[in-house]
Amino acid sequence: MTATTRERAPYRAPAPLGGRPLRRRGLAAKAFLFMLPALVILVAFVFWPMASALRLSFTNASGFGIEEWVGLSNYARIFTDQRILATLGNTALYTVLFTPTALVAALALALLLNNRLLIARGFFRTALFLPFVVSLAVAAFAWTYLLDPQVGLLTYWLRALGIQIGNVLQDPVLAMPTVVAVAIWKSFGFYMVIFIAGLQEIPESLYEAATIDGAGPWRRFTHVTLPQLSNTLAFVVIFAMIAALQAFDQIYVMTGGGPYRSTQSVVMELYQEGFKKLDLGMASALSYVLLAATLILSLIQFRFFGRREKDTL
Amino acid sequence: MKKLLATLAVSAVGTALALTGCSNSSTAADTSGPVTLTFWHGYTEADGKVLDQIVADFNKSQDKIKITTTTKPWAVIGDTLLTSLSAKNGPDIVALPAENLPVYASKGALQKLDDYYSSSAQNASLNPRAVEMEKIGGDYYGVPTGFVPLSVVYNKTLFQKAGIAAFPTTWDEWVADAKKLTVGADSGTPQQYGLALPDHATVGNGVWASLFYGNGGAIVDGNKSVLDSQANQQTLAYWAKAVHDGKISPTGLDGIASDKLFSSGKAAMEIGGPWMASVAKENNIDYGIAAIPAGPKGPAASAIGISAAVTSQADAAKKAAAEKFFDYFFSKDNATKWSLGSGWPALRTDVPSSAVSSNPVVASLTDIVGTARPLLPGVADSTDVLTAVDEATQKALSGGDPAALLKTASQSVQQALGK
Repeated sequence: MTATTRERAPYRAPAPLGGRPLRRRGLAAKAFLFMLPALVILVAFVFWPMASALRLSFTNASGFGIEEWVGLSNYARIFTDQRILATLGNTALYTVLFTPTALVAALALALLLNNRLLIARGFFRTALFLPFVVSLAVAAFAWTYLLDPQVGLLTYWLRALGIQIGNVLQDPVLAMPTVVAVAIWKSFGFYMVIFIAGLQEIPESLYEAATIDGAGPWRRFTHVTLPQLSNTLAFVVIFAMIAALQAFDQIYVMTGGGPYRSTQSVVMELYQEGFKKLDLGMASALSYVLLAATLILSLIQFRFFGRREKDTL
Repeated sequence: MKKLLATLAVSAVGTALALTGCSNSSTAADTSGPVTLTFWHGYTEADGKVLDQIVADFNKSQDKIKITTTTKPWAVIGDTLLTSLSAKNGPDIVALPAENLPVYASKGALQKLDDYYSSSAQNASLNPRAVEMEKIGGDYYGVPTGFVPLSVVYNKTLFQKAGIAAFPTTWDEWVADAKKLTVGADSGTPQQYGLALPDHATVGNGVWASLFYGNGGAIVDGNKSVLDSQANQQTLAYWAKAVHDGKISPTGLDGIASDKLFSSGKAAMEIGGPWMASVAKENNIDYGIAAIPAGPKGPAASAIGISAAVTSQADAAKKAAAEKFFDYFFSKDNATKWSLGSGWPALRTDVPSSAVSSNPVVASLTDIVGTARPLLPGVADSTDVLTAVDEATQKALSGGDPAALLKTASQSVQQALGK
């Protein structure tokens, strides 16, 4: 195999002057042709709407009739209107509650399920992954019923055990942790599977070497597993964070943003501004603020994980 | 740079999805032959079939106008109307929840129908309170296709068990009966409640409006918030006390949770819409429907309303054709047919309950339709107004001070009205 490559090499090397660019151009054109269908879809459904939304964010558009240029006033409103600022706070709280908890739960279970000593690993993996397959709206409806203080099954069981949890979805303090918990239940299986894939990539020899050097389970985890999982971890953190910043479905179904707007996330507000109040300008501005927040947080994480990777190498 | 691009792409795709709407196409109008109109409505049940039949009968009754109906869920109509009108493939006539009419009118998506009201022979017979919900800033933008007062649906079996023979007619009787119907109040968590009284996102958003009206209060008066009036403070304090001290209803309920409580037999009464009759039937509940008991200032109920409007897409000929259809729709025969088909009271005042007696629910609702008032007519930002009311009522029922809560809410309402 190696010999064949070596033999062929001279044929591929220096081409006559002027020939290469032409060939390259031909190749580029072919490549472009292959990419064209995907590009058309991306431009039509992602880039063009994004550009339109950016333009709309500087207007008072409703999607109909005359729209006026309002400059930065939509953005100014986002950062001065207490009600909207509160939604940014709610989304931040959601993200802070969701991302680390989902991550730790997923990693812990991935480590457990990656242990060959555990029986019925396949069953547990499937069982824990299953909630991810269910639509979030359906899961949210199911949980709303389970948690209903009067007719809910979960509250009924808990009452039988002498535990009164009250109406958690209408409690301004407990509503947010509850919708976050449902989101975690729904999605950690996905992150867990990614972690398991990452764990299986780590060579067994590293653990053997660490054990010989006298490392215990904790040191093996911090000095072998975590550094080796760095890329996976970065991916999961960013993915989980983006999902958290875009929290909408289960909030819409379970609390409608209440009680007293305590679970009103940015995307809930965006939906209300855009589709209830028909203020697409404001909704677009909100989406760009969210985009900026996502971008900044993602960049910070890329930097952080990038540096860690360099340090460990 | 690559990382920056990758990050940008990942975040961008995700965020862009949040704003992605969807649009629906509809048949474009022909320019030759009869005037053709498209009509979007959200009557998805048996009511929709009756409406479609009325439209089909209208199409058959003459050969100059042809209307095609499209049924879509109300929410889909709301989400897609403006974008489809922009793309010129929207409807010529659209039916909408009445409280959404002002916001679409304010965006220029609907046409004024003042000429219809000044010229139509049917106008004099229409329920004036239903017509009131079509008026925005002095002009009419729609015609009513539905106007039903909120009413109380009650569980007759539980009433009998509690020894209550007649349905209450005043608030005091109502609360007293609700207390009798509440089982296990002493334990702190009753097993059965006298009433399911939602404190936010109520049925048709009208439960609290109904109670405020009953004591002579209101939410808005024209362009002014009157939410923190003395009358409303009394009303909220009265009901907060009944719920808090009397435990007649759980707190934190919304309209859907109230429906669940009633249909599971855990609440003896609920303030609801006409659909509760079929919900009760499905759950084998022997039910009755009655007017909301009269408050200190008399009987009153907020109405759930649906309007049909002519969109800006329709040209003069189409608008005239739509008005011809409205005339046909409001004829006494069709108004009666539509009332029976939709399960809502007739939109004309000259269709008595005896004319719709074949459906007892419609007959009961027809008897009380005179007390109904439209919810927030002419208010474009009804979302923020209703959110402010919800916050005040929910906090008051959880033990907050009604006067202070209404004062804060009233400021938010005024702010929303001023936008």
